Amino acid sequence: MSIFCVIPALNEEKTIGRVLSEVKEFVDVMVVVSDGSTDQTADIAERAGAVVLSHPVNRGQGAALETGDEYARGRGADIVVHFDADGQFLASEIPEVTAPIERGEADAVFGSRFSGKSNRIPFMKRVAIIPIARLVNRLFFGLNMKDPQSGFRALSKKALAKIRIEQSGMAHCSEILHRAARSELRIKEVPISVHYPDFGQNFLGGVRIVKDTIIGKLMD
Amino acid sequence: MLQQLIALIVILFFVARLFFLKKKGGLPNGEFVFWLVFWVLAAVSVLSLKWLDRLFAGLGFSASAINIFVYIAVIALFYLNFRLRLKMERVDRALTFISRRVALDEAEKKRTQS
Repeated sequence: MSIFCVIPALNEEKTIGRVLSEVKEFVDVMVVVSDGSTDQTADIAERAGAVVLSHPVNRGQGAALETGDEYARGRGADIVVHFDADGQFLASEIPEVTAPIERGEADAVFGSRFSGKSNRIPFMKRVAIIPIARLVNRLFFGLNMKDPQSGFRALSKKALAKIRIEQSGMAHCSEILHRAARSELRIKEVPISVHYPDFGQNFLGGVRIVKDTIIGKLMD
Repeated sequence: MLQQLIALIVILFFVARLFFLKKKGGLPNGEFVFWLVFWVLAAVSVLSLKWLDRLFAGLGFSASAINIFVYIAVIALFYLNFRLRLKMERVDRALTFISRRVALDEAEKKRTQS
């Protein structure tokens, strides 16, 4: 099975090299989508052996992921892993996230920061952003996920064919979940570890996600 | 009376701008006619506020005509803002599509060259 790892990156020259060196042994192809980066991100990624797709202007994480997915579809990937460029996830957990797909038990596997592994989650994220995201997902999409905003996930070939991300910004997490559920794909959550270098989304970021999700829903 | 005079001066300013823009050729005919009719109706409304008060009272409204116009304007602004948001979202998606094509085409070009 060919595993592609799609890593959206915006000015991540400090971390992208280390992340790629760690990811390398667990996947077949590394795809870095440089989302309007103005630093050395693309050059470092290319030297580290990744395929680099460069957005001429910044379009957001969701847009960058879809660009990577589109590339992976074209190259016939069997599994696509979405991974962050800032080093917040552990590359060694990629096999745990892809395993349910390889065993034929799931089509879309979502890493969950709240399912067993002890993680130090920022206060606002733990008490406000994630509970609101859970509520929005339950109300709008009828989905009951422990971690609806995780950026670490794996999609099977079937899931990749069904899920096209249209949300450019951070609301893509809910969108992917929604599209997976609507397409009646088999969804699974697996525990993952997380380490926040700069404590991730702030509260306003969370509000923006809810707003983008609602506008996206109106656009459908 | 003074308020009506100020309102008419403001309307006159916008009508003058409208003709100026039309003369410069920066305004399509349909847009010009729409805004001209809009401002003329606004001027007529300003001049007939008392009559409009009676009309709205006769229709069962408890507020004066000017208040009703403000309510309608606020509703219209909210609606236009909503339309604008949707339009911006469409433009945003078009821009993403173009950026994606550029990125994928360049990668494909590199792949075939190597």
